[in-house]
Amino acid sequence: MPDAEERVVGTLRYTVDHSVEGMAHGRLVRSPYPHARLVDVDVSGALAQDGVLRVLTGADIERAVEIPNPYFGLTRRDQPPLAIGSARYVGDPVALVIAETPQSARDGAGAVIVEYDELPYVIEPMEALAPGAPQLHEEWPGNECGEWRLHRGDVDLAMSQATHVFEATYTSPMANAVPFEPHVAIAAWDDDSLDVWTATQWPSAVRGELAHMFDTDPGNVQIRVFPLGGGYGAKSQLKIEPIVAVAAKLVGRPVRLELERDEVFLTTGKHPAVMHIRTGVDAEGRFVAREIDLVYNGGAYAVMTPKAVAQGLLRSIGPYRFPNIRIRSRGVYTNTVPSGSFRGAMTNQAAFAYESHADEIAEGLGIDPFDLRERNLLQEGDVFASGQVMHDIHFHELLRDVAAVIGWGEESAPPTPGKAVGKGIAVIVKTTPPGTRSEVRVEMRADGDVLVHTNSVDMGQGVLGTLAQLTAHHLGVDIGKVKVQDPDSSTFDSMTAGSRTTFVADHAIGEACESIRRQVAELADVGGHPSPHTAVEYQEILLGAGITSLIGEGAYQSPPSDALSNPLDIRGEVADHWHQGAVAVEVAVDVETGKVEILRCHGAAWAGRVVNPVRARQQSEGSIIFGLGPALFEEVIVADGQVTNPNLSDYMIPSIVDVPIELTSSSLESPDADAAIHGVGEMTIPAVAPAIANAISRATGARVRHMPMTAERVLRAIVGEPE
Amino acid sequence: MSERLTLEVNGDEVVVEVPADEALVNTLRDRLGLRSVRPTCGLGICGTCTVQLDGAVASSCLLLTVQVEGRSIRTSEGLTNDDGGLSRVQQAFVDNGAYQCAYCIPGMVVTVEACLAESPDATMEEVREYLAGNLCRCGTYVSILEAVTELVRGERE
Repeated sequence: MPDAEERVVGTLRYTVDHSVEGMAHGRLVRSPYPHARLVDVDVSGALAQDGVLRVLTGADIERAVEIPNPYFGLTRRDQPPLAIGSARYVGDPVALVIAETPQSARDGAGAVIVEYDELPYVIEPMEALAPGAPQLHEEWPGNECGEWRLHRGDVDLAMSQATHVFEATYTSPMANAVPFEPHVAIAAWDDDSLDVWTATQWPSAVRGELAHMFDTDPGNVQIRVFPLGGGYGAKSQLKIEPIVAVAAKLVGRPVRLELERDEVFLTTGKHPAVMHIRTGVDAEGRFVAREIDLVYNGGAYAVMTPKAVAQGLLRSIGPYRFPNIRIRSRGVYTNTVPSGSFRGAMTNQAAFAYESHADEIAEGLGIDPFDLRERNLLQEGDVFASGQVMHDIHFHELLRDVAAVIGWGEESAPPTPGKAVGKGIAVIVKTTPPGTRSEVRVEMRADGDVLVHTNSVDMGQGVLGTLAQLTAHHLGVDIGKVKVQDPDSSTFDSMTAGSRTTFVADHAIGEACESIRRQVAELADVGGHPSPHTAVEYQEILLGAGITSLIGEGAYQSPPSDALSNPLDIRGEVADHWHQGAVAVEVAVDVETGKVEILRCHGAAWAGRVVNPVRARQQSEGSIIFGLGPALFEEVIVADGQVTNPNLSDYMIPSIVDVPIELTSSSLESPDADAAIHGVGEMTIPAVAPAIANAISRATGARVRHMPMTAERVLRAIVGEPE
Repeated sequence: MSERLTLEVNGDEVVVEVPADEALVNTLRDRLGLRSVRPTCGLGICGTCTVQLDGAVASSCLLLTVQVEGRSIRTSEGLTNDDGGLSRVQQAFVDNGAYQCAYCIPGMVVTVEACLAESPDATMEEVREYLAGNLCRCGTYVSILEAVTELVRGERE
């Protein structure tokens, strides 16, 4: 990475380090009730504090003529920057104190008195779906937050003819991505022009939505992004940007807001999910029918849930052939933290279910779990449940890779007294996000530098280095000449998410570089130069022609598909390529305490072509380590509507002592030098939890169907007690 | 209620005027511009605000600046050589790609420097225990251990 030294020494600037002249500081007042009508907000005490400039409420925003559209949202515009009328979850922002210093803002926030009228609330999705449940949004009756269905073949007939039918329910709770740099943003207006510096993965989406709120052209909104101190999905969509944009508008000064750690927990989370699976199998263990019912808790606002549950549906199928399949996937509003993206989005929950289920079937039939997978895994040219013919499919290679490394079929490590040991495997598929676009502008300058403009965000995956490497490769110049610019809204990119950036950037950069090569060739023809291969040769041609710079533009656009045009009948092309991964683990379970120790772990991702081996490995192994948390101990606990553990003391994340001593990974490549590059950011994380669950089962005979697999849950499963 | 006091920061004597309730992490970041010191959990658990206090690792979010008057504080910025070059620990991190988003890395570097100063021949088990208070959400731990292994084995000049 070009900025490696700054990263290691600590001089790299993040958004949290940025300041703007004359900026004021914000501090939010949040609802202590899961559902309450806002009766009155008394701001007089806050305004009497030193340094407090203004206190804003939802009512101020609603009546402000400067803000024609006070609600935002990328799927449904159901969320105000500050609650209007009622607060819908504990932590819902109801007022913003704006002051000269962060300390004054904090003091002011403590002096705001809000009068609430408590309303009935609902936390559990199944209760929220029941008749008579408290309703969150008038416009969306029944707390409906997206429903998608898929069916293929005749499930009922196949189920009735199946030799065996297996059935189980698997659940996973809310988790927090815990990016170390919190959500932080600054907004500044200059007449009608808005600048926002924000730690976001989705600058183009933030730009479009803010432009809508203020009814202005997106060209008047610039979103500037420094490298992120972690994202993992938590910095997707819009978070606090509407709050600072509105505040800066109404106070006439730049406003900065940085969330405290507990507020990060109250801002977004992984979708809690309940997945019920029924599977019919024939005598040889081949899957003949499957039925899936999937319910995702969307929390108090839609964010992406109405669309995300479609991906949740597609990502619940797994890497197997199903001639007959029927799926329903629903999102539900509840009075909890709004759910959003989380590394391995909408795949972690489902993979835990379908890969645990695969082993339960194998065990029920007395078939080795490896053999059961071999018989059912999708292969090149097979038809996915949506009807799409699949290409570039490598599940068997991934399964065999992880099985070989973990020594599948060989004896486990000898058990020590009181410990049971066992191995587990899991294979996953993740569909790519649909309908996305990425633009790149490459500028070849006569001084020899190559500037790359994108709206892709570096969040630790090293995208700046990767884009530089791809540009150097496509132009044939030295990487030291390539300078990738931080996102500044000069180009469009749907998102830096879904493990898509390397794949799409290779296409877009290839196109932009091809354009430059063409332009240079035309100039060279005139000047009689040969085709250039080094920066110096490009430079000579540009200088010879008296040109200071050339611009090449390129874009990647997902192929058009109408597969998601009918929510009740998903059908057709659902992915432009397929993310594929696998994990194998060996665990030791303390049979007296239920504590699980990961002795060894190996992950594999289908990479197609590896751009940078160090970064590819860090994505796969980092993804495994990240996945250990929600698998074994991470859970945002909600009691009576309150998040009770919004801090790193009560919500623990993996430390270095949680990392298996033996942790390895493979990035599998095609022998074809021009093979498509596949993203590798999330290929191992979804397989971690089910591989562990399967290993626990093989070690102890106990099956845990709830994440996280805490010592208590494992012990209860071992002794056969209900939770 | 501000207090005027002297600290030794990265080898230099500095005089600061701070409120009595100001945490050291804030003094270092906001008054002295040492942005490698980062608050993340505010509870002394995550390690991103780690500094060396008279050579021993400490969480600067748990210390009041007035508590450390006259003491010697070292941050990652202050570990570079006199000519501004990277320390051998920092260089080992760079060479092993032991960073991702890197928000936690300066704190890791400070801890590893202290660990190796205390026990130059530390076993990997000891290094893991020493680093248990420095969390990395990207999960860069394996590369970090590889960097430290090189240092312990004396594979680096």
